Amino acid sequence: MGKEKNNGNKYLFDLAVFLATSARGCVEEPHLYGPFRLIDALSRLTELPKYATCIKEDPFLTEMKRVIDEKKFLVISDAEAFKTFLENLVREFAKELKRRSLERT
Amino acid sequence: MDVFEAIKDRRSVRKYKLERVPEDLVKKILEAAVWAPSGSNIQPWKFIVIKDKKVLNMVRKISPGYFGDAPLAILVCSDKKRAYNLGGELGRDYLTVADCAVAVQNMLLAAYTSGLGTCIVKSFSSTAIKHILEIPDGIEPELLVIVGYPDQSPKPPSRRPLEEITYLNKYGKKYFKK
Repeated sequence: MGKEKNNGNKYLFDLAVFLATSARGCVEEPHLYGPFRLIDALSRLTELPKYATCIKEDPFLTEMKRVIDEKKFLVISDAEAFKTFLENLVREFAKELKRRSLERT
Repeated sequence: MDVFEAIKDRRSVRKYKLERVPEDLVKKILEAAVWAPSGSNIQPWKFIVIKDKKVLNMVRKISPGYFGDAPLAILVCSDKKRAYNLGGELGRDYLTVADCAVAVQNMLLAAYTSGLGTCIVKSFSSTAIKHILEIPDGIEPELLVIVGYPDQSPKPPSRRPLEEITYLNKYGKKYFKK
């Protein structure tokens, strides 16, 4: 299937469709699919700078997207490893938050 | 290919090449489906072959569990009216789901032995897919089968050992000894 032509409005709408259908699906899906959809949405959200020129690409978020896309399917094969991956992901975000906060002061 | 080899080596594929699936293989996959057994031989299934890129893209967008750019998807639906008329409430509420699942496994194996990758998707919005594909009342989307030439070779996930899940004559008495 060829890539569709992409633009900001389309990106925003596609993300909105993903979030809406995910929200509905999460009513009945396995409980770990909630976190799974959230990090999948996070992965998609990191592509925002491609479409909103006022936002610069964030190397940290780009790296997190790479990690997420590499690890997210653990949800299907190994629930414990998926939880550990989420823990590690949050730890990376906390480190980066602290670094950025201290940098500003 | 030996059927047991196909059963063991088939994987769920979430990354595909853009290469189209030849029509004879599409037909082979569908024929494999309809030769599945069904409760009371009701054959409650209906299939929607999705090849149009625009339609595929719409379906992908309303299916959070759909990964990869496969050039083909087949929606397996159940005909609830037919199932009820021929199989009563059991047919409509339970057997349709089981029958479609059995048909889908045949599809996966037929695809795999033809060099194709597949992935079953249930994480789609039924409301949205019915609207997009103009599915009438009484026909229920059950499972979406993504089909294409694989662009990855997923490792086999673990399986629960037979010793843990198999019993002899009564529940709890182990069939296999470790």
